[in-house]
Amino acid sequence: MFRPLIGVMGVAVLMLSTAFFAHSQKATEIFIPIGKSPGVSEKITIIGKIESIKTQQKTITVAGATETWTAEISSSTHIWVDRSGLGLSNQKGRFEDLREGLLVEIKYEKGDGERKGPAEWIKVKVEDAG
Amino acid sequence: METFIAVIFGLILSGCQSATPPLGKSGSELVVQGRAIFFNETFDGNGRTCGSCHPAENNFTIDPAFIATLPDDDPLFVAEFNPDLKENFENPQLMRQFGLILENLDGFDDLEKKFTLRGVPHTLALRTSVDSPGGPRTGWSGDGSPGDGSVRSFATGAVIQHFTKTLNRVAGVDFRLPTEEELDALEAFMLSLGRQQDLALPLPLKGPVPKRGQEILLDNSLGKCTLCHVNAGATADFGGGNIGNANFNTGVEDLPDQPAGLTGQLILPDDGFGTPGDGTFNTPPLVEAADSGPFFHNNAVRTIEEAVAFYNSDAFNNSPSGRILASNDPNGVGIRLEATQVEAMAAFLRVINALENIRVSIEALEASAQKGFFERKQAEELLKNAVDETENSITVLAGGGLHPQAVAHLQRAKRLEGKAMDSLFFKGKRIQNAIREQKLAQALLIDAR
Repeated sequence: MFRPLIGVMGVAVLMLSTAFFAHSQKATEIFIPIGKSPGVSEKITIIGKIESIKTQQKTITVAGATETWTAEISSSTHIWVDRSGLGLSNQKGRFEDLREGLLVEIKYEKGDGERKGPAEWIKVKVEDAG
Repeated sequence: METFIAVIFGLILSGCQSATPPLGKSGSELVVQGRAIFFNETFDGNGRTCGSCHPAENNFTIDPAFIATLPDDDPLFVAEFNPDLKENFENPQLMRQFGLILENLDGFDDLEKKFTLRGVPHTLALRTSVDSPGGPRTGWSGDGSPGDGSVRSFATGAVIQHFTKTLNRVAGVDFRLPTEEELDALEAFMLSLGRQQDLALPLPLKGPVPKRGQEILLDNSLGKCTLCHVNAGATADFGGGNIGNANFNTGVEDLPDQPAGLTGQLILPDDGFGTPGDGTFNTPPLVEAADSGPFFHNNAVRTIEEAVAFYNSDAFNNSPSGRILASNDPNGVGIRLEATQVEAMAAFLRVINALENIRVSIEALEASAQKGFFERKQAEELLKNAVDETENSITVLAGGGLHPQAVAHLQRAKRLEGKAMDSLFFKGKRIQNAIREQKLAQALLIDAR
């Protein structure tokens, strides 16, 4: 007789074989310009200009209209260069693409809207193709 | 004579303005707006609409038979006639032959070597099938939407992947992104499609074979289906309560001799949810299955019988999900069904699909009957919908050799629906007779509830 209740271990292993926490798809996110990410932009992301960069600590400080935020760039942070304003395809970027004065949008890893700590992704808007 | 009178009436009344309700923010108006966007809006892209891959007349999915009916200049085939999309946008041979669509779910940085080929999931019963405690799961791997991952955001990702004019995918150049209002309307429309709630099994079915199939499905020592398909839907319950829609690694990728792979075309492994993927794929509902094949994320099998029989396979029983089921079975068996049991389960799935199609047909017929003269275009569309759903019911039941008397009633219903489409003065009567035939068919499949 099959047990009506799968054991705790069975549930745990079955969970490990499932993706229990839903995630949004990252692949097309690169092509979404700053401020246009559906359900996310300015609801849980921040948008502002890079005020300062700490290269050693891999952190940036961003100034919005009324407040500033700090974000950490970890090895898993996606950095995307938003060139849509130039009519060019967006691209993967690097830490070096983050420069003072550039407009950025940051989604933090903590998905509950807490705007600090490591960044899940950063979009940086460039004004020239160089 | 009827046509002549209709023409006269048309001429007399053609000067009158039709009373089209203005678009507003009410739920039904948002659905109407969403419908118009879904089937007509190209978002300044390559000509495709959402309806290009999710046509209403084919259960909001595409398969090789349906694809074969499309003209060569249909936007679905844009990779065949747009030189900017000739390479690395679709695989036209695999699209036409197996209904497979190319997606770059692991990124767009290497289009030649980073892509998957997946079937088109239908968009029916989404209200019952995407929610989970961890957030909504969309698409075949449960991570189909960008942004917040919701059904609402899905269209944004779809436009970027499938609507672009060139592989540069520049917003504002190759396409435009849906507006917030459009996303709201599309979400309302998509959630309005199909069932709005799960079935409550067991159903009082007629016919010993579908009845036995239902028993097997509900038997957690035999079919074990309702662990992951509660009430033949898309949610899971392992004994501790419903956990919503979930992903599983059921080993479909390990099936040998998959049809697309036999062509010699480059087929890359699909690793499912996330990047890199964890091998899991999303659970679709079973009610809508029988008339929306081919099945699984890669259209690996064609018929509902083959889809059920997959769970007997080594591929499934050696998969993480199969091994878990086996480890909790006193005989160490994952799923093992005899051929007759596979047939019975498939018969059950065919019957519940036909019942759903009958329900939708009756709904469409009743709605059509309510439309006035100035809403005749909507009435025609509803009748067309009823004809399509009735055809599905016939195909699904006859394909399984099930309930021939019910099939006969459905064939009569279909003829009446067709006549109602061509009729002005007898439309109402023909619709009522079609409804009567649908209900007679329904009564042969299930006891009155």
